Amino acid sequence: MPDNPPMTAPSPDAELMALIDRIGHRDEAALRQLYDRTAPKLMGLAMRVVRQREWAEDVLQEAFLTVWRVAGDYRATLSPPLAWLGLIVRSRALDLLRRRTADRAQLTQEFDELMADTLESDAPNPADTADASEQAWALHQCLSQLESKQREVVSLAYLREMSHGELAEQLKLPLGTVKTWIRRGLEKLRTCMGRFA
Amino acid sequence: MKLTAHPELLELLAASHALGTLRGGARRRFEALAREQAPVRAAALVWQSRLASMTELQSPIVPDAAVWTRIRNIIDAEKAQHAIERQRDDANARAAAKPQPQGGWLRSLALWRGATAAGALATVLAVVVGLNLRDQLVNAPAVQYVAVLSDDQAAASMLVTFDPKKKQLVLQRVGSYSEGTDKSLQLWALPPGGAPRSLGVLDNAPALRLAASESDVHQVPTLAVTLEAKGGVPPGSGPKGPIVFKGALIEKTI
Repeated sequence: MPDNPPMTAPSPDAELMALIDRIGHRDEAALRQLYDRTAPKLMGLAMRVVRQREWAEDVLQEAFLTVWRVAGDYRATLSPPLAWLGLIVRSRALDLLRRRTADRAQLTQEFDELMADTLESDAPNPADTADASEQAWALHQCLSQLESKQREVVSLAYLREMSHGELAEQLKLPLGTVKTWIRRGLEKLRTCMGRFA
Repeated sequence: MKLTAHPELLELLAASHALGTLRGGARRRFEALAREQAPVRAAALVWQSRLASMTELQSPIVPDAAVWTRIRNIIDAEKAQHAIERQRDDANARAAAKPQPQGGWLRSLALWRGATAAGALATVLAVVVGLNLRDQLVNAPAVQYVAVLSDDQAAASMLVTFDPKKKQLVLQRVGSYSEGTDKSLQLWALPPGGAPRSLGVLDNAPALRLAASESDVHQVPTLAVTLEAKGGVPPGSGPKGPIVFKGALIEKTI
C-alpha cells in the first residue's frame, strides 16, 4: 500500500512514515518535524506511565534519541507509526520506573491519590484519536464500551505493565475484583475488536 | 489441550498475554504453544498489535521546550564525536602506513571543513571543549598557533596551524577556491611595521606542510595568501598579486 501514491491527501500514517524514513537517513529536520507532530501525544503517554513531569520529559528525550538511532528499522516492524513511537516511549518509561523502584514507596502515596480520582470519575473516555491509526481508532471505540473502572484497570495493566496483584495493591481493591474487571474488560474487547478485524 | 479448538479461550489467553496479566507458568505454557502452533502465534501477535495502540490514545501534554534543545544538543555532540573518531581512525591508519604520522590536531579537520562560516574556529573549539575531549588535546601535537583565513566574503577558506614539535605549518583548504593551473597561492606573514615575509608557495593539494620555525610566526598578528604567478614571486621579493585570503594568527592557550 505505501508504495502506491494515494490519490487523496496523504494520511497521517503516511506522513509520519515518510518522516521516520527520512530520519533513518539521518535527516535532522525530519526528526524535528516528527517531534513537533508527536511530542505532545507521546508526552501524554509518558506522563500516564511515570506520572511525574520531569521524569516524563526524560522519557521523551530518551525516546526521541532512540528513534534517531533505530528509525532505519521501523519498516520491518509493520506497526502503525504512532504505535511504534508509543511502544518506544512505553519501553523507555518502564525502564525509568524500574530504575526508580527504590523510590517506589514514596511514589505509591501520590499514586493512590491520583488513582482515587481516576477511578471515581465517570468522565467519558478521555482518549485523543488525532493522528491515531485505524487500529487505534478501533481500540478506542471498543474501550469506550467498557465501564470506566474496567477501562482504567485494563489501561494501567498494559501501560504500566502491572500484574493483578500490583493493581489490587495500588488501587486498594480486592484481588478478585481486579481479576474480574480485567477478564470482563478483555472479554468485551475481544467481541468488539473482532468486529473490526 | 488443543487450544485452537477453543477459539474464544485462545483469544482471551492471547489478549491476557499481550496485556501482560498472563504470568508465571500460564504465560510460559502459552508462549510454548505459540512457538509450536502458528494459529496461536498469530493470535498472540494480533493482540500485541491491538493493545499497542493503547499508546496512541493518551491525552496530549505539551512538553517543555528545553526537551527538544536537549535532544538536539545530544545529537550534535554525538555527531561531532563521531566525526572526531573517524578522523582519529583515519589518522591512525595513515600513521601506521607512513613513517611520518599526520598531526593529531588534524583529527578535528572534518569539523573545520564542514564549517564554512567565519565563526568556525570558535564553534569548533567550543564543541571540542564541550565534549570534554581533553585527552585528545593532551595527546595532540603542541599546536600553538591557529589561523582561519577568510576570503573577501568572510567565508573561511583556509586553516593554518603551526606544529612547533615538527617545525611545520600545516595548511588545509576549507573552501572551494581554485587558483587555476597558471597561478600559485603564496602564504605571507604580515609582521606589524615590517614588510610581508613569504612563508612558502602552496601547491594544489588540499593539505600541505611548509617547514617553518617558531620565529617565523612569533608575534605575527596576521597571515595572508596572495595570488601570484606560477611558482610564486622570486625569493626576496614582496607580494605582487592580490590578497585572496587573510586572517588573524591566534596563539592557542589550550
